[in-house]
Amino acid sequence: MKWWPMVGISKMLTEDKKYESKARVKKMGIFRRSFHIYTIDVGNSNILNFEMRALQTPKYNVHRFGIYFAASPRHADLLIVLGRPTKKMVAPLLETINQIPEPFGVILLKGCGSSGIDLDELKLPNVVASVNGCPEPSEILAILLKISGRVD
Amino acid sequence: MKKLLGAYIQDGRKYIILQENGKVVALEGNASEFKNSELLKNRNEYVKNVLEKEEIYGDDVFDFRYGPVTSGVGEAGVYHLYTYGERILSVKIDTSYKRRALDDKMISSDINDALKLSEEICGNFAISHSIAFSRAVENALKIEVSRDIKALKAIAIELERIYNHLYVISRLAGAAAQQVLASHLMGLFEDSLVVNKIFSGSRYLIRFNSIGSVLRFPSHEELKDVTDKVKKIKSAFSELYKNSMSSGNYIDRLHLTATLSAKDAELIGLTGPSLRACGVKEDLRTHDEIYRGIKIVSDEEGDALSRMEVRAGEILESLKFIQKTVDNLSLDKAMPFISTESGEGIGWSESPSGTIIYHVEIENFRIKSVYVSTPSVFGMSAIAHSMVGNIFTDFPFAVESFGVNFSDAAR
Repeated sequence: MKWWPMVGISKMLTEDKKYESKARVKKMGIFRRSFHIYTIDVGNSNILNFEMRALQTPKYNVHRFGIYFAASPRHADLLIVLGRPTKKMVAPLLETINQIPEPFGVILLKGCGSSGIDLDELKLPNVVASVNGCPEPSEILAILLKISGRVD
Repeated sequence: MKKLLGAYIQDGRKYIILQENGKVVALEGNASEFKNSELLKNRNEYVKNVLEKEEIYGDDVFDFRYGPVTSGVGEAGVYHLYTYGERILSVKIDTSYKRRALDDKMISSDINDALKLSEEICGNFAISHSIAFSRAVENALKIEVSRDIKALKAIAIELERIYNHLYVISRLAGAAAQQVLASHLMGLFEDSLVVNKIFSGSRYLIRFNSIGSVLRFPSHEELKDVTDKVKKIKSAFSELYKNSMSSGNYIDRLHLTATLSAKDAELIGLTGPSLRACGVKEDLRTHDEIYRGIKIVSDEEGDALSRMEVRAGEILESLKFIQKTVDNLSLDKAMPFISTESGEGIGWSESPSGTIIYHVEIENFRIKSVYVSTPSVFGMSAIAHSMVGNIFTDFPFAVESFGVNFSDAAR
């Protein structure tokens, strides 16, 4: 039997670079091997949508950390909110959160744009990380690894 | 054929923005004489097939609402697909969820702040928007731009074209269940974003362009790194593309899907690679001295396959252009001389998905009025037209092959 399914790959054994983020995040402490993510664009300039796609490229190979992208919020453990919402996207955002099964976490990537409603004003439940600007995929991965408890 | 790309009112007079044979002009006139004028009126709310002759209705016809929160549509927007079950009869696209009114926000702001807002309109077309805006300001304030600065800006726009085209082709490959090809292309997409960062300091080339100049001059080492990486992308993409074209399964999904004729494309106001895929050899870059010798890539059939082939050809042309231009760059850091503080001007750029145009009026270095024309509005109307008669499973090929963005259409 191979050794990695038994211990889980908690270290980046094949990479010389570490995934780092200065963002303050809350460890959820509920995931063991894997978790599923759903992303929602609420009005970002598209950079965050592209960075989320870049995170899913083989360069980052997020599946090795048990990170999967769900096709519906009902199958997700974590919701990543991309950007600051336009007025019309507030209701769909709240309904999406309503559809995620408990327990769940919400990550706010506020984006580098100047438009939209302040996400803090919406007082969204279970926010586990809140990041200003447009983080690169390596930083988003670091945030996910911190939340899952795989790194400190 | 003259294509209507914009309309604005200045001092109580009506003006229209037209593109013909790769040239953009603004002149006094009435937009209602053009078939696509309705697109310009409603673009903040919705986009329809402007060539639709009558409203589609009937007992079994229903509105299949796709978005704004669905894994199939990445952005905040809604596709209304009118169907009786399988075949799509009509399409209406709701852009209002992504409307941020960034063009309205530019009014009264300083020209440099407005430049930043232009980059925010659509992050993956950031440098195309930024260059179209800065050209409009440079024309308004009669600012001369040096040849080397123009070359640096042209390299940036070609880098943007490469990563956008790689992204589009990867999405098409993914939709056709060619996951190995899609993964390889997404790997190259990430590589090209890394090249952007080496060249401009930003993965999306933001805060690189400025009015009359650039904000960052890449060093000789960085330029060498860019050309080395560009060579690797070129060789990897050429091989992948050659192999992909021998896959019958892949080609079959794209061939004759979401077809558009050249005449309909021009009536809609389509520009860019999607127009060139209909056999119209029109590209704004051919009238720009910096691009001397660039080959216009075109195709004949106007389907999703032609659009993919044009984008693939353009990736290779852009990579070739970057290698050639970097070799002849002397990095002249001359600052622009500004002789006037008010004026009116028009500027454009050939973005990865078509023409972006800005018309600006400036008073004391502040924006008095601005009109922005974006290619996604016309691309979305082309999607709505080309989808008629196709079935649901063809939907991703139509949407992805036109390379449109809600953020670009809604601004």
